[in-house]
Amino acid sequence: MVDASRHPKVDVRTYTEVERVEGFVGNFKVLLREKSRYVHEDRCNGCGECAQVCPIEVPNYFEMNLAPRKAAYVPMSQSVPLIYSIDMDACIHCYKCVDACGELDAIDFGMDDRLVWEDIGSIVVATGFDHFDPSVIPEYGYGRFPNVITAMEMERLNNSAGCTAGNLIRPSDGESPKSLAIINCVGSRDKRFNPWCSNFCCMYGIKNAVLLKQTYPDMDISIYYIDIRTPLKGYEEFYDRAREMGIRFIQGRPSLITENPETRNLYVHSEDMALGQVLEHEYDMVMLNQAAVPQPDVDTVSSVLNISQSPGGWFMEYHPKLRPMDSPTDGVFLSGACQGAKDIPSSVAQGSAAASRAGRVLHSDEWEIEPVVAMVWEDRCISADGKKCGMCSKACPYGAIEYEQGKPAKVVTAKCHGCGGCVAECPHNAITQMHFTDAQILAQIRALLANQPEEKILAFRCHWCSYGGADLAGTSHFDYSSNERGMRVMCSARMDSDFIYEAFRLGAGAVLFSGCHPQDCHYITGQPVGEKRAERLRKQFERMGMTPGRFRIEWISAAEGDKYAQVVNEMQELLDSIPKQKLLQEIEELRPQMEKRARRMREVPQVEEALEFADRLTTAMLNREAEVVE
Amino acid sequence: MNHSSKPETFADQVHAIPGGEHLELCYSCGTCVSKCMIQQKVEPEYNPRRLLRLVMMDMREEAFKSPTTWLCSACDLCYSACPQEVHISSVIGAVKQLAVEAGHESPLETVSVDESLCSGCGICVMVCPYEAPHLVEKEIDGEMDRVSEVDTNKCMGCGTCVAACPLGAIARPGVSNKEVRAQIDVPEVDGAPRLVVFVCDWCLRADDDVTLLESYPENVRVIHIPCTGRIDPEMALMALRSGIDGVLVCGCAPGECHYKRGTHVSTCKISLLNRMLDQMSIGDGRVRFVQIGTQDRGRVRNEVDATLKHLAPQKKEAV
Repeated sequence: MVDASRHPKVDVRTYTEVERVEGFVGNFKVLLREKSRYVHEDRCNGCGECAQVCPIEVPNYFEMNLAPRKAAYVPMSQSVPLIYSIDMDACIHCYKCVDACGELDAIDFGMDDRLVWEDIGSIVVATGFDHFDPSVIPEYGYGRFPNVITAMEMERLNNSAGCTAGNLIRPSDGESPKSLAIINCVGSRDKRFNPWCSNFCCMYGIKNAVLLKQTYPDMDISIYYIDIRTPLKGYEEFYDRAREMGIRFIQGRPSLITENPETRNLYVHSEDMALGQVLEHEYDMVMLNQAAVPQPDVDTVSSVLNISQSPGGWFMEYHPKLRPMDSPTDGVFLSGACQGAKDIPSSVAQGSAAASRAGRVLHSDEWEIEPVVAMVWEDRCISADGKKCGMCSKACPYGAIEYEQGKPAKVVTAKCHGCGGCVAECPHNAITQMHFTDAQILAQIRALLANQPEEKILAFRCHWCSYGGADLAGTSHFDYSSNERGMRVMCSARMDSDFIYEAFRLGAGAVLFSGCHPQDCHYITGQPVGEKRAERLRKQFERMGMTPGRFRIEWISAAEGDKYAQVVNEMQELLDSIPKQKLLQEIEELRPQMEKRARRMREVPQVEEALEFADRLTTAMLNREAEVVE
Repeated sequence: MNHSSKPETFADQVHAIPGGEHLELCYSCGTCVSKCMIQQKVEPEYNPRRLLRLVMMDMREEAFKSPTTWLCSACDLCYSACPQEVHISSVIGAVKQLAVEAGHESPLETVSVDESLCSGCGICVMVCPYEAPHLVEKEIDGEMDRVSEVDTNKCMGCGTCVAACPLGAIARPGVSNKEVRAQIDVPEVDGAPRLVVFVCDWCLRADDDVTLLESYPENVRVIHIPCTGRIDPEMALMALRSGIDGVLVCGCAPGECHYKRGTHVSTCKISLLNRMLDQMSIGDGRVRFVQIGTQDRGRVRNEVDATLKHLAPQKKEAV
C-alpha cells in the first residue's frame, strides 16, 4: 500500500466516495466526494499530538470495538496516507487538538466535503465483503454470553499489535482460556441466513487454531464442522498438519451453546458424527467463524456503476467461467470478494486479471463491441416532433439511450449491449436492432409458420439461457415434440408483443415465451421487462377467450435441457387434447383481434415491404459508417 | 425427464406425503440430533439424521423399527435450528404414517381410558396436541354409550388429557392421579418453608441442574412429570390444604414445549388458579410457574432459592 501510494502514476484517494458515474468504456466521467477530514492533508504530518490531547473516547471499529480510540484518529496505525481525521459525530469542539497542532495549523473545523469530476478510462470494483452478525442466531448466544466471540475479535485478541498486545484473554474475567471451540459455518450454508459456502472459513479456522496451538501448546482446541473444504494447493496438507498438532476436529454442527452462570464457561452441544452420539463439551471460550456477506451498500454501488447483482447481493460477473473478472458493463471490472466470497490467492488472481483487463481499455483507441446494437430511426421518433415519450430510455438497463423531449432519442453505441428491450418497447417502431430487425424476425416467424401453423409450437428463446437449454436438450438427446419451432433473440426483453400477435394471427397452435430466470438475466434487468410484457399478454389472451396454455411463459436456464423438453412436450400434449376443428375455430375467432392489435403489421403488412425496410436500414447504416470513416 | 419407469422407492413414498418433500435437502450436519433432548434423556439410539438417511438409502424395515420414528414428539426444536430448513418432524411423521400402514405399532407407554367412568364430554379431544383421542359410539355393559378412545400410535404420553379429564377417567402409568398425589407429602425441616416443585422432564437440559434439584433438603419435594400440561390445579390446592407453603412449576419456554402445547395449557391453568387464590386471599406468589428455556442453564436453582426466600416470612401464616 505504501509502495502504491508513492508510485508516480498511482493516485490513492482515501475517505472518498464515488457519487456518480457517467459516460461509457474508456470515457467515464466520475463524480467523487472527497469527504472532509477536518484536517488539511498537505499539512498533517501524522504526529498524533491531536489524538493525545483529545478527551473523547469512542469504540474503535478496527479493533472490533474491543478497545477505544479518540475522536481525532487514524483508522489503524498502518493507514495510508497517515493523516488524522476528526470524528465529528463524537467531537465536543473543545479545540484542544487545534492548540496541540500548533504551527502546523492542519486542523480546520470549517472544512467541507469536496466534489470533484474526474475523467476515468476504466473502473475496477474491489469493495470486498462484510461479516455476518452472529447475534441473530439465538442458539449460539453471541452478544449474550461474553466468552462467545467472533473470528474477527479473535484476530484482534491474538494479534501482537492488537488491543491486548497479543495476550489472549476471556472477555468475562480477563483470564487466559485453557480450551477453545471453533465453530464453522456460522450463518453460511444456512438457508435461514446465507445459503452459500463462505469459501475461506475452513482454512481460516484451521489457521487460527494452528497459530494458537503454537503460542499455547497446552490449549485444548476443537473445531466443529459440517464438512472441511480444503480444495486448493497445500490446503489439505495444512489440515493434516493441524490434526497432527493435536487439534480436535468434530464433525457435527453445534445446535446450542449454553453458559455456566457462575464460571462463565460454555457448553457446546453437538452430535459427533463418527460416534453418532450427542456431546456436551465444556470450553473456556468459543469462536464463531461467521459467514462472508456482501457489503451493506451493494445496492448503492451497483446503481451508481450500473452493474447487476447475483442472488444474495454479490456483484454479477459477465460470464462465470470465461469472464469472471468482467462486469456486464464494459469498462467496469470486478476484483476480489465483492464478486463472491473468496480467499486471498483467488482475490489476488482475480485482481491481477481485472487490472490487465482495465489496462487493455487504457491502451486502446478503439473498443470492439457486439454488432447487435440498437439504432434509432430518427424520422419515426415522436420525440423529434416535441411529443413526450422516453419509453426506450426507461427500458434500457445500461442507460445507453439519451432522451430529451424535442430531439430524437439517441443510442450511445458504446454503451449498448444489444438486448433489444428498447426496440420492443418503442410504440412507434422507431428503433431497430442490428441483426435482429423486426423485418428479419417477422420473416422468420412467417417462414416457420408457413405450413399447417395450427400444429406448430413457436418458441421464442433468449440467447443466453433458454436457447442454451434447448441446445442442451438436443445434445442430451431428450425427446421433445418435433412440432416445436425455435427462434433466437438476444433477450426476452426483445420479444415484442407484435411478434406474438403475428404468430397467432398466422394461426400458430401455441407460442412459448422463454428466457432466463429472474436475477440470471444477462442484461441486468432485461428479463423483468420481458416478464411484465408477457404477463400482460397472457391476461389479454385470457380475456379474449384463448385456451389457457396456448401462450406459455417459462424461465429456463441453459442447464435445464430436461425442463425445456418437458415444457415443449406438455404444450404438445395440450395441443393434442384440443380437437382440431375446435382449435381452428378458435384461431379464426381470434384472428381479427390479433390483426387489430398487431399495429406494426399494418405499417409493415407484407414481408416484401419488411425486407425493403431492412434494406433501407442497411443502406443507412453503411452510409453512416462511411461518414465515420471519412 | 420423466423417470416413470423407475420403481417407486421408500424415499419417493415419504416424499409424496405432505411434509416429506423436504427430505432430500438434509446434508447430515447433525444439528437436529444435538438440539433434540431425546437421545440424551431417553434413548441413545435416537437420531433423526440417521432416520432421514435410512429413508434416502431405501432401508424401509430399519426405518420402521428405529426408535426415532416413534419417539419424536414434533416439538420442532430441531426445525428452528436446521440450516437447511428441513421440517424434520414432518418427515418423521411421514415415515411413522407409512409404518402404521405397514402394521407396525408404537412402543410408547400411552394413556388409557376407563370406559366405565368416561362420560364422552370430549375435553380430552380438545386438549390433546396430537389428535390421539376421539369419541366413539360403543357398547358398554350392554348399553350404547359415547366414550373416548385413544389412538395409541398417535399418543405421545404427555398426560395433558389426564389432568384435563374432569372425571379422572384417563390414566397414564407412572403419573396417574393416585401416584402423583402420593408424592405430595413434605416433612417439616428446621422450620424452613415447605415447597413442592413440579419439574417437566424436558425443561432441564443440563444433567447438573437435575442432580442439583435432588440435593435440596427434604423440605423441597421434587416431583417429575412428563409435561407441565399434566399439572392439575387440584394438586396445587391439595398441597396448600395439607399445609405446604408453596408450589413451583417448572416447564419449557413458549415455543420449546416438548409436547407442542403443554406449556401453553399450563400457563392458562396456573394464571386462573392464581386469580382464584387471590380471591381467597391466599395467593401472594404461593403458586409460581417458571418457563425455562434451552439456554437457561442454572436458572432452576435461582428460581427455587427465590421461591424459598419469598415463602420464608409467610411460613407461620396459616393458609
